[in-house]
Amino acid sequence: MNIHEYQAKQILAQYGIEVPAGGIAYTPAEAKRVAQKVSARGPWMLKAQIQAGARHSGYFAGNSVNPKGGIRQVTQIRNLAYEAAQMLNNTLITEQTDAKGRLVSKVYVEAFKQVKRFFYVGMVIDSSIPAITLLISEVIDQDILKVGFTQQDKILRLPIEYDKPIANAQIKAILDFLSLDKSYDDYLRDFLNKLRVTFINLDAQMIEINPVGILRNKKFIALDAKMNFDDNAMFRHPDILRMQDEYEEDPRYLKAQRYGFYYSELDGNIGCIVNGDGLALETIDVIRSQGYKAACALNVKGGVDKDRIAAGIKIIMTNPRVEGVLINILGGFLRCNLVAEGIIAATREVGLNVPMVVRLEGTNKEEAKTILHETKLPIIFAENTNEATEKLIKEMEVND
Amino acid sequence: MSILADRKTRVLVQGITGIQASFHVKRSIDNGTNVVAGTSPQRQSEHLGVPIFESVADAVKNMPIDASVLFVPARAVKQAVREAVEAKIGLVVSIAQGVPVHDMLEIKAMLKGSETMMIGPNTPGVITPQEARLGIFPENIHHKGCIGIISRASTLTYEGVLETNAAGLGQSTVVGIGDDMIVGTDFRELMVQFMADDETKALVLIGKADNVYEQLAAETYAKMPNKKPIIAFVAGETLPFGANMGYAIDILSHGFSSIQDKKKILSDSGMIVVDKMSQIHQALADLGLK
Repeated sequence: MNIHEYQAKQILAQYGIEVPAGGIAYTPAEAKRVAQKVSARGPWMLKAQIQAGARHSGYFAGNSVNPKGGIRQVTQIRNLAYEAAQMLNNTLITEQTDAKGRLVSKVYVEAFKQVKRFFYVGMVIDSSIPAITLLISEVIDQDILKVGFTQQDKILRLPIEYDKPIANAQIKAILDFLSLDKSYDDYLRDFLNKLRVTFINLDAQMIEINPVGILRNKKFIALDAKMNFDDNAMFRHPDILRMQDEYEEDPRYLKAQRYGFYYSELDGNIGCIVNGDGLALETIDVIRSQGYKAACALNVKGGVDKDRIAAGIKIIMTNPRVEGVLINILGGFLRCNLVAEGIIAATREVGLNVPMVVRLEGTNKEEAKTILHETKLPIIFAENTNEATEKLIKEMEVND
Repeated sequence: MSILADRKTRVLVQGITGIQASFHVKRSIDNGTNVVAGTSPQRQSEHLGVPIFESVADAVKNMPIDASVLFVPARAVKQAVREAVEAKIGLVVSIAQGVPVHDMLEIKAMLKGSETMMIGPNTPGVITPQEARLGIFPENIHHKGCIGIISRASTLTYEGVLETNAAGLGQSTVVGIGDDMIVGTDFRELMVQFMADDETKALVLIGKADNVYEQLAAETYAKMPNKKPIIAFVAGETLPFGANMGYAIDILSHGFSSIQDKKKILSDSGMIVVDKMSQIHQALADLGLK
């Protein structure tokens, strides 16, 4: 789960990390009021709040007179409402959004902070060790990802201990890497340990401060903040869960999430219902190898409740892009008969207007097939993924 | 022979009285699994014909136990593993999906230097056909045979099983290492055990595009002095949208590797890499094991 920059900064401030004074605004007039509140004079930073990076080099679609930049510096207060109006209720497209972009419904207004230097700090979990790993680089903004591809030596990686403050040797390594002298030791240590505690206390999977600024008084300040949390641990953090912005998520994804399923969209026209991540990937690959593309995949994982499975199937069948449905289930924990009952319940409610091919294998397979045969629904059966895909494509082409 | 579990393995089930546990443990017992005890917070002395204890410590005081299967919910997995580690149980298989990643960091720290090996979480478990079913496998598709399977994709494990059947070879032991970002045991240690197992003639390795476990397996395999053939498959040529975040993390922490890179690394290590699951049976047949 992701949150917005302004929310991440509120969290950092609670953990004692310095952030610029700022406030959120939903209208141009409000943006101006917030600006005057956070600082008596300019410049100010105006930052579009969408949950995607590369906002700085992004641009607004549609009728903006001045479409460039989801992050802008405004020097004069008289220009502030105007600039905010260029962003609010417009769609921002960046390297990290899809072509549709994201609608900006709020802007964050901050007092501009003069800093001596910038650098990048990331905190992620490296599963191969496994350990929380600090990533440090002098390369900032969206260039950091490019560096990740091509110049690995420009990123310093330090796995840290889960339950101990960051080691002295590691602090020294970071100072050296950034060419900072010993006088920064305490400030860096303080900053990174507070970040570490935030990460651990809140079950974060990633925190990125891109960039960190170094102030004249040698303190470190978070000029941007991105956080991602472990969905599976949110039962421990109702306060974080409340920060989820439903407008940022695909409504089908949210619906699937509510039933405990995982939904993802692609750009084709076959709707897939599977159980398991790997099976989803394999099914999508097989469809592609036969010249077609998946529209979406719903992973019902080890779902055990017929009504929830029916609700999940409806999510796929009501997607207007879906011209054929492929159900590929290898039941272990998930029993095939429950899937069959789920299919029947879903089709009863929303009908079956597109071809559907079902491949069931594993626990209670025969029982499931019997149930489906008895309904006399025009369901096509297959014995494996290849055959299921072939049969579905053939049927879709006949329908054309 | 087989690895991890056979008909002599004395199995404890933590959380045995749950609905799902009851369904699957009964199937395991019917399938020949030597289930000797269970734990449950419910006050009852017996379930499915085996004695119930309040804690793992209680159970091990009363009888020797070799392995434990965890049917506890995801949020209780950390505590359940702790109990098993403290009781020095050799093997723990954790079925639940949705264990918090930070809990896994703590669990990995517990396992380090302990006598316990953990399989999972988010796995169908471990099965030695007709001998021991520690988990939720659809046992009706399994046949005794000479192929070891190690899989990182729960449901594709079954697909792998069907492929070994199609090749007419069957399975020695099948291990789902788990679908999650961090798992108790990755491919490497299991590869070593399979190489030492007389009954296993070849392996099927099923990987995913999402992290570096496959690369680690390749490094280990390349260095092995006595190799049995491995047929490898990696799912994820086409990544769905939304996979981006985890991708960025991996790029930053390890550098970029595409699925093609991954396949090449596996192939360079000496494994036989197939592009589709459905090519596995042919690749197995080509080994001429029969």
